[in-house]
Amino acid sequence: MSEPTGVIHDIGYQRYTGPRLGRRHVFGALYLHGLRTAFGLGRSAKAKIFPWLVIGIVTLVAAGVTAVRSQLGEVVMTYAQFADNMSWLVIFFVAVVAPELVSRDLHSGVLPLYFSRPLPRGDYALAKLAALGSALWLLLGAPQLVMFLGAAFTTKDGMSGVWDELLDLLPGLLYAALWAVVFASVGLLIASLTGKRAFAAGGVVAVFLMTAPIVGILSIMPSRTVNELAMLGSPTALVHAVGQYTLGDLLVPGGQTGNQLGGFGPLYVAVAVLLVAACVALLFARYRKVAAR
Amino acid sequence: MSTVSWITARGLFGRRRFLMLFPLPVVLVLLAVLSRSLGVDPGQWGPPVLVGLGLAVVLPVVALIVGTGVLGAEIDDGTVVHILTKPLPRWQIVLPKLAVATGVTAVTVAVPLYVAGVLAHSVRLGLALALAGCLGALAYSALFLALSLLTRRPVLLGLVYVLIWEGLLGNFVSGTKVLSIQQYVIALADRLAPTSLLETSVSVPVAAVMTALVSVGFTVLAIDRLRSFSVAGETS
Repeated sequence: MSEPTGVIHDIGYQRYTGPRLGRRHVFGALYLHGLRTAFGLGRSAKAKIFPWLVIGIVTLVAAGVTAVRSQLGEVVMTYAQFADNMSWLVIFFVAVVAPELVSRDLHSGVLPLYFSRPLPRGDYALAKLAALGSALWLLLGAPQLVMFLGAAFTTKDGMSGVWDELLDLLPGLLYAALWAVVFASVGLLIASLTGKRAFAAGGVVAVFLMTAPIVGILSIMPSRTVNELAMLGSPTALVHAVGQYTLGDLLVPGGQTGNQLGGFGPLYVAVAVLLVAACVALLFARYRKVAAR
Repeated sequence: MSTVSWITARGLFGRRRFLMLFPLPVVLVLLAVLSRSLGVDPGQWGPPVLVGLGLAVVLPVVALIVGTGVLGAEIDDGTVVHILTKPLPRWQIVLPKLAVATGVTAVTVAVPLYVAGVLAHSVRLGLALALAGCLGALAYSALFLALSLLTRRPVLLGLVYVLIWEGLLGNFVSGTKVLSIQQYVIALADRLAPTSLLETSVSVPVAAVMTALVSVGFTVLAIDRLRSFSVAGETS
């Protein structure tokens, strides 16, 4: 009988003793990752096709509008109107990006890994929401910047012309932010309901497209009050109505505002805020449920 | 009813997410009933409900979700291998799946279209819309079924077709209407029941020939693609 000669080697495992960055940095990392996912950055070429297709089209439209304006001096659309005219592309972009952001994580079951970090449930949803919102804002804002640059360099009034353009651009960017917030919250809520990206994309498009004709029907009803409230029927029209109320003739040239909305402008603003708040609350509730599984 | 179609039908109906499809036709019927009961002129509410909602949104979106779901969902899961390894000719896999997709889409779309058509004008318009809707369901299903074999992202590509090609370009560039299933359906319905509610620039013979061509062509393409189908992993 010999003594056991084995030795447990110390192969140098160590505990991490450095600083731990905490909640704010987790949120920041998740947000940045989400924003990169939205545009397919850091991923394969196939993941870039659809986001950049949309970006290509909106940039092309902006360049076309700028060219027409600088050559013929004809304003095809104002900065605020740009977002309205791109609404189908915005819907498509949401249908592409929202499932990428949330449905993949649901499908592959990695949420417990996220939630084992110092990351509250709400933060995960909020970071994804912020990423989608920023992506949408960039999608609508960047082409407006192209239009602004085109107009600023070809203006004939010197600095005051540039300043006027800037005053037109800023409400346009704010309006784009309104689009981004409303569409991101509604789209992300729908996408978070299913782990299948295909179904999520279909659902997002179905909800946004289905609601548009409702507005058309309500606006030809025989009651004036119903007509004035018709734009509550769909997210797209709701955003447009809020824009009409707050921006006025920047959005609808010719001073025909007021006819469509009646005295319900403040109501539209309130409903838009409520819609976003409700969507965010439901999103939080959804992630409380998912996290509990 | 073959086993493949049985499996496909169960795969579609067995999940809760299928209920997601039902609000679409219900909204269509509700809007038609509401407009009718309030006595709005059918000339005003007909086009937005029948064409704007029914033929431009409900039909393609339902066909897209169902048509890509019958085969695309199995490809995504990887369970398509179980069918592919059976000693079945490929057409015996594609045709039953196409039949189920067309049947489900046609029932979901034709019934509300019939109701809305009757409320808007006459029983004849209702029948015409329902029949044209069924033909459209066949063409769309064949297209989306083939798409789910051609690419790993059939839904997004299908959305590009529905939203950008038919929706966006169709409004600005009239030339694209010749290659739009939606316009064929409108032309066929208008031929079966001539009213002032439906308007299109595509002629009826073109619509009929193109609908048949799309249905047969994409089915043959799908069968051919399934012959040399390679199962790949998750898309990145």
